[in-house]
Amino acid sequence: MRASPISKSKYPVLTTAKALICGGLVKASLLLSLILVPLLAPLGVAATCTDADREALAWLAKMSRSHHQQAYHGVITLQRGDDMQVMQVVHSVADGHISERLTRLTGQGAQVIRAGHPLDCRHPGQHILEHNKELASASCELARYYRFQMVRGERIAGRQAVKMHVQPRDLYRYGHVLELDRETGLLLRNSTIGAGDKLLERFQFADIAYGESPVTGIDIDIVHPAQHPRATVDKTAGPETGPAWSVKWLPGGFQATDEATGQDQRRTYTDGLAVFSVFLETLPRPIQPGEGVVREGSTISYTRGMRLAKWPVLVTVIGEVPLNTARMVADSIRAVP
Amino acid sequence: MTERLRESLSALMDDEANELELERVLSQIGEDDELRSTWVRYNAARAAVTAQPVVNLNLDISRRVSAAIAAEAAAASSGTSAWQRLLRPVGSFAVAASVTATVVFGGQQLFQAGGGDPDFASPLPAAGVSPVGFVNSVGAMPVRASYGTQPIPQLQPAARTAYKELARQRMEQYMQEHAGQAALNSPQGLVPYARVPHIEE
Repeated sequence: MRASPISKSKYPVLTTAKALICGGLVKASLLLSLILVPLLAPLGVAATCTDADREALAWLAKMSRSHHQQAYHGVITLQRGDDMQVMQVVHSVADGHISERLTRLTGQGAQVIRAGHPLDCRHPGQHILEHNKELASASCELARYYRFQMVRGERIAGRQAVKMHVQPRDLYRYGHVLELDRETGLLLRNSTIGAGDKLLERFQFADIAYGESPVTGIDIDIVHPAQHPRATVDKTAGPETGPAWSVKWLPGGFQATDEATGQDQRRTYTDGLAVFSVFLETLPRPIQPGEGVVREGSTISYTRGMRLAKWPVLVTVIGEVPLNTARMVADSIRAVP
Repeated sequence: MTERLRESLSALMDDEANELELERVLSQIGEDDELRSTWVRYNAARAAVTAQPVVNLNLDISRRVSAAIAAEAAAASSGTSAWQRLLRPVGSFAVAASVTATVVFGGQQLFQAGGGDPDFASPLPAAGVSPVGFVNSVGAMPVRASYGTQPIPQLQPAARTAYKELARQRMEQYMQEHAGQAALNSPQGLVPYARVPHIEE
């Protein structure tokens, strides 16, 4: 089967729905920051923000906006241990909408597309990165959790880059070395660094060109339309099939990526650079309490069997965070009466 | 057994193995006698170090399961020629099944028998099916519960193995959904999808 080129007409209904909830999301976040900023300012947050931090934060804001607004296409590699994946990405912008396409060139012939994503649709992760600039000295929120250092960059995919060391100030997140296109701010290389300066994962452009992409023919087996937060949140409680739950502890700086309902199966949190998701399954029978962990590159999957009120449940934390973070988050899950 | 295989096996025992190393071991363990005996020895050593009950070292689950499956496969395909049977990748199939048998057995062990708590009365039939939702993700065959429920003696630290397997399967199951969220909330576009082991529509 051949993949059809990105066509907006293919998902007309979806597009409208996305635009609607996106408006809601953006408003909610803006409101939240308006409330938070006066609260945070007297706490002396600004004092932790050095000039070096400000420069780095300005680059992060540029990076986030650039990733959104630039039209580009290229070849990306993702390296995790011995494993190296190669993929082609296309990011195009037209009529106020973004269309993205990622095609695996090695292994599985799969393609992920997200078409008709409104340009003004912003998500919490982007707000965290971009608000830093707009709020200038008032918010150095990200600098409370990461230490930034700009160093001399090198050439990546033929582009001159600036290099930023991003070191976590606590043990709840990984470090990064971000390398951004000096001209456009686009993220060209991201190295995720774990404990003991161990390289966990590296993604980088091998080749990049700005502007719209020529149509190419690549063999595809599967096309997956990338998900977007639900357009409607069904709050009507069905038959009670599991506990309503909430996460009582989050590492500093993490916030929910979308609206959660009590009985949702998934919650996702981000601090702007790292993302993790919590999944909860209600089990039909009691389970011997215990935990299990597997790692793939920077991603961890931590599964814990436990009891929540009267329900036996299996909690899984998946994301690009250290084991300890996943364990503490799982520990903090409580049933909501 | 190559040095590389030995390293992979060691990594597997230390919970340090990546997908590639796991595959390397799984693809060989059906054919490589030395690898299999090393595996048993490593497990025994670890059981001793971690003060776990000593297991029967002569137990060779993968052999037994592959023999059972080979017999069944032979019976099922008695119409085909001996050559075709020989060419069939019985080795990998048996390995997948043996891993699954271990996993299903471990999964069953995680469930406290009876529970003794009326609140937890199971709405599902208890026999055979593991309610945690183990799936045979190693091979292409569905889980054959019968291999798991046979009176196989105590395997390795079953709960630990089973929980690790649960974590691995949950990663496969949930990675795509997590990647969807990560793609919207981190500055790398759709790249998080590259972490999904197998993208589904």
